Amino acid sequence: MATATYPPPPPFYRLYKDYLEDPKSAPAPPPPIEGTYVCFGGNYTTDDVLPSLEEQGVRQLYPKGPNVDFKKELRSLNRELQLHILELADVLVERPSQYARRVEDISLIFKNLHHLLNSLRPHQARATLIHILELQIQSRKQAVEDIKRRREEAKRILKESLGTLDGQ
Amino acid sequence: MDIISQLQEQTNTIAALAFNTFGTLQRDAPPVRLSPNYPEPPAVPTDDATKFSEQPKLLSASLVKAAKQFDALVAALPLSDGGEEAQLKRIAELQAENDAVGQELQRQLEAAENELKQVQELFSQAADNCVNLKKPD
Repeated sequence: MATATYPPPPPFYRLYKDYLEDPKSAPAPPPPIEGTYVCFGGNYTTDDVLPSLEEQGVRQLYPKGPNVDFKKELRSLNRELQLHILELADVLVERPSQYARRVEDISLIFKNLHHLLNSLRPHQARATLIHILELQIQSRKQAVEDIKRRREEAKRILKESLGTLDGQ
Repeated sequence: MDIISQLQEQTNTIAALAFNTFGTLQRDAPPVRLSPNYPEPPAVPTDDATKFSEQPKLLSASLVKAAKQFDALVAALPLSDGGEEAQLKRIAELQAENDAVGQELQRQLEAAENELKQVQELFSQAADNCVNLKKPD
């Protein structure tokens, strides 16, 4: 009994039978989805934004505001982390039963660190875009120079050959 | 790997070092006498004891080294203090310049193609004349 390994492709291909003769006889592709959509039983959203820490129920340790000084905050969070690790070591020696609070503090610092790093990604994306645009402008200018040079050379060769033909 | 991914890897490394430190020390620590009521704990062989007493130094040294590396990576962040608006403004400027240069390129390309067509036309005429003027042997 022959069974196929994979399910057959969706049957839409039959609608495009006469596409070569008449491009309008077949349906247009579906428009892009906006908002939320369901895929294999899961809900996804098209609006990709980083949820703020409060939405995840995590306390934010670095100051809020429009422009956060990332380097300073990252460095101070690093110092706090080291201090908390030292405190944990201390607590384990003196009062071992009170480790839970310290461990919670350390994980809070890690969550803040990762959230700060994730919020740097849009900045990185814009910087990459700027870099790509600069490269493209440079290569286009180079191409313009090349074409100008070749045209000049072609004109020169034509003039020369006209000269030699007239001299004949 | 880009700098932000390196920073993320470094935070995860620091976390791994921290719990390895505490786990190793807790697992391998020799027994300690808590009160005079309890008997002396059995002595541990001396080279194990020396190996164990070096552990806190080595583990904490690697933890501090990882933290210093994190600081070095933070210092290497190419963060221009322009903020979002400055970046968006620069993107708009670059797009306008890109469009202008693109149009210039298009003009040059069209002019070059026209010249090429003219030269090809003239060349084919000249070749035809040559063929017509050549006396058959």
